[in-house]
Amino acid sequence: MTSAAAVKTGGGAGILDARLTFRRMFIACLLLLIGLLLIIFGTSLMGSEQLPGRATICALVTYGDPSCGLRPDHEAILFDIRLPRIILAASVGASLAAAGASYQALLRNPLAEPYLLGISNGAAVGTMLALVFFAGNEWSRPMMAFSGALLATLVVYRLALGRAGATPERLILAGVIVTTFLSSVIVFVTTLMDATRIRSFTFWLLGDLSGTTSSMLTLAVAFALLGTAVLTINARSLNLLMLGERDAFDLGVEVGRVRLVVFIAASFLVGSSVASSGSVGYVGLVVPHLVRLSLGSDNRITIPAAALAGAIFVVIADTLARTVIAPRELPVGAITALVGAPLFIYLLRRGI
Amino acid sequence: MLLNHVFNSHRSQNIALLLVIAAWCNASCVRPNSEPQSTSLQQVREFTDETGRLIRVPLNVARVVSLAPNLTEVVFAIGAGDRLVGNTTYCDYPPEAKAIAKVGDTLQPSIERIVALKPQLVLVSTASQLEAFTKQLNDYQISVYVTDPRDLEGVFTSIQNVGLLLGKESEAVALVNQLRARTLAVEEAVKSRQAPSVFYQLSAEPLYTAGRDAFVTDLIRRAGGYSVTAEVPGAWPRYSGESALAARPEAIILPAGDSMGADTDIASALRRSPAVLNGRVYRINGDLLVRPGPRSIEGLEEMAKALHPEAFAK
Amino acid sequence: MLEARNLTIKYGRRVAVAGLSLKLQSGKIIAIIGPNGAGKSSLLRALNGTVQAAAGDVLLDEQPVVTYSRRSLSRRIAVVAQEADLRFPITVLEFVLGGRYAWSSNSAWGWETVRDLEVVQQVLHETDLEELSHRFLNELSGGERQRAVLARALATEAGVLLLDEPTANLDLAHQAALLMLVRSRCDTRAASAVVVTHDINLAAEFANRIILMKEGRLIASGAPEEVLTPVLLREAFAVTVLVDGHPVTGVPRITPVHEMPR
Repeated sequence: MTSAAAVKTGGGAGILDARLTFRRMFIACLLLLIGLLLIIFGTSLMGSEQLPGRATICALVTYGDPSCGLRPDHEAILFDIRLPRIILAASVGASLAAAGASYQALLRNPLAEPYLLGISNGAAVGTMLALVFFAGNEWSRPMMAFSGALLATLVVYRLALGRAGATPERLILAGVIVTTFLSSVIVFVTTLMDATRIRSFTFWLLGDLSGTTSSMLTLAVAFALLGTAVLTINARSLNLLMLGERDAFDLGVEVGRVRLVVFIAASFLVGSSVASSGSVGYVGLVVPHLVRLSLGSDNRITIPAAALAGAIFVVIADTLARTVIAPRELPVGAITALVGAPLFIYLLRRGI
Repeated sequence: MLLNHVFNSHRSQNIALLLVIAAWCNASCVRPNSEPQSTSLQQVREFTDETGRLIRVPLNVARVVSLAPNLTEVVFAIGAGDRLVGNTTYCDYPPEAKAIAKVGDTLQPSIERIVALKPQLVLVSTASQLEAFTKQLNDYQISVYVTDPRDLEGVFTSIQNVGLLLGKESEAVALVNQLRARTLAVEEAVKSRQAPSVFYQLSAEPLYTAGRDAFVTDLIRRAGGYSVTAEVPGAWPRYSGESALAARPEAIILPAGDSMGADTDIASALRRSPAVLNGRVYRINGDLLVRPGPRSIEGLEEMAKALHPEAFAK
Repeated sequence: MLEARNLTIKYGRRVAVAGLSLKLQSGKIIAIIGPNGAGKSSLLRALNGTVQAAAGDVLLDEQPVVTYSRRSLSRRIAVVAQEADLRFPITVLEFVLGGRYAWSSNSAWGWETVRDLEVVQQVLHETDLEELSHRFLNELSGGERQRAVLARALATEAGVLLLDEPTANLDLAHQAALLMLVRSRCDTRAASAVVVTHDINLAAEFANRIILMKEGRLIASGAPEEVLTPVLLREAFAVTVLVDGHPVTGVPRITPVHEMPR
């Protein structure tokens, strides 16, 4: 039977329709993007301080037109405190979810997650070292965070590689070892060092999105976009790596190069989010899992969709963190862990 | 830094019963028992400490270990510093305190070191949360006296109680009278003045402040200020940046230059607050603000001068 | 045409393959047989450059395979390994589309073209997987999964197929069906295949040549009737076998003779 005949006969239209196309990815991402913008809009009306609704909406839409009649102090709350924090939450969520989805594909393990693998803690230690040794240089923080994340990634990967490759159990075990080791380093350094300069260890272990500088915010947004783009570009290779490095190699993937690019891009994402907001856990686990559940496992859609959904997730989590016991606040990592840990247990029990 | 602050503060989650007892006790709690009991060799008195525990203390206490910097300061201030045989790494005032044997830090003292120092009495602050530790010390026949100062009155009470324990009643009373007079002088000076709203920033990122149960909240009130976070539950709550800005604090007080670290920055959320715009940000040695001890009065005076400079202008 | 010249493969100091040569003409199937640890899989892995040769060359169309880029090599040589490691839900269609990776126009980013889909459609049809194309791979039986692995290799349209124990998980009917598919590729499209297998009778049926290996060395190479002799098989496997003719096709058929205690 010839190829053309096969296409004409055996129900070929179904197969053609079911493939993932650029258009389908685009539509899914567009819907998520609209959702994200709506969430950002909605959550910027919420906070420990009640702002006048109509004037706030007007100010948001016009980006602070004075005719909206928003009081200057309310304007300061909205544009100097609340909105930057929401945008930071979005970029942190996007970074961690995109990185998580990529780690999972690359390491063939649905439980791989920057926080659980100790990569966030690696970035945290890097940032702390930057604060101790190059306190004056703001750029040293994300760079050192990136280096710490990359180093932790490589250590976990090496530890996880056994005779039979990196099994999920070995990987998680390696992650636990690296995480606990680096957590003690964090507690040790925060206890010994001048804590006002390097912040308290709850920041490093549970994350906090308040009080970022505008340059840090710009950096976090830029890294989130860039890193997610690099990972998405490598998504087709990750699709094959997800099924095994040897298979991927046989099918034409330059495994070593792709692995390095993905490790670097993901480390940049984790590094920039940790440098600006500490270690927010479980985002990279929960979000890619939900995305895969609803959109399938093709990384060309999983990675960008996870980035957008991660942004939505962390924006909502942080809104909860800053409103449920207002005017007091919770660390955002406590909220994400509250959602993430049960899911982790569920995935573990399901035997993945 | 937070740890240190937390330790120095009062515990918010104290059991209600103990609160009642503490309130009822006030200054009269430490009193020699009507019928002095004697063990085999030594004269022993019974005391009720500031958390309502009944303890037995030798009549003459010659060897004391202090597990909190404020208590070390109290012991020195009533002239009993020579009886201190051990204290913590946080105990850095007066300078002589640094030379005393260290038994670890306030949160994790070493029981072995304490036992080896053979103290007759160990002074503990409620904030250090050493209940289990206290029980362990009791097993070694070492008396543990727990102090629980929640405000300046509580500090005066603790000073007098430690004076009684160490047989320095008159010195303690004299010290308390002097401190009370200085307190009254401050309160008198600021009495008729408009209280500025004050935000106490413990740390910038994340933003922590002083809540209802913090000792410094009482100091701010007495210094003629109005803490915008005075009603927030807890001692050191994490606080919303937008609420801090919305409260429009006229003055911001930062603990600084203390044993815990260098100067902090103002939280970014507060950069457009009236306090920052008007240059009313005051950095005060944190030890004076968060250690409920004799030097708290210095903190009170500094704060009052900062909040009401015109009241103290000569 | 794929050719190995004096190929030696070492793992550390252990020699897996020692100075072995073979030539794969288009349209032919070579079966590699031999006892466990003979170096069969290492040889196969070296043929597409996965394992580095310590000495000797592997040439594809007169060019050393190491000089090909990964992608251009993957368009020419496809591997059918044991079934894949599956931790993520992925459909048969997505899985088989993976075979088109090397044909994508840029390095990685990209979407399947209509041509890719036609090819995949065709191999799904050939491997009898059309009905299952939207099922998740990890819900299928072992045999169905193995067919998907073959389908993916066929989707690469590579002229050379390297198959490592492709029939291990298959029942009788699918064993023959799978190899017939490989056979027909070779006949109709001038493809060629190297099959590592333990099933000597199946090898005899489908292979043009058989290579018998032991401890990394070549014992014999040639047409099935030349290699499948009691003497050579005893040398390789240290067992006594009877060789007779297949009742239908007449190709050699072997039967091990065990001296079972009775």
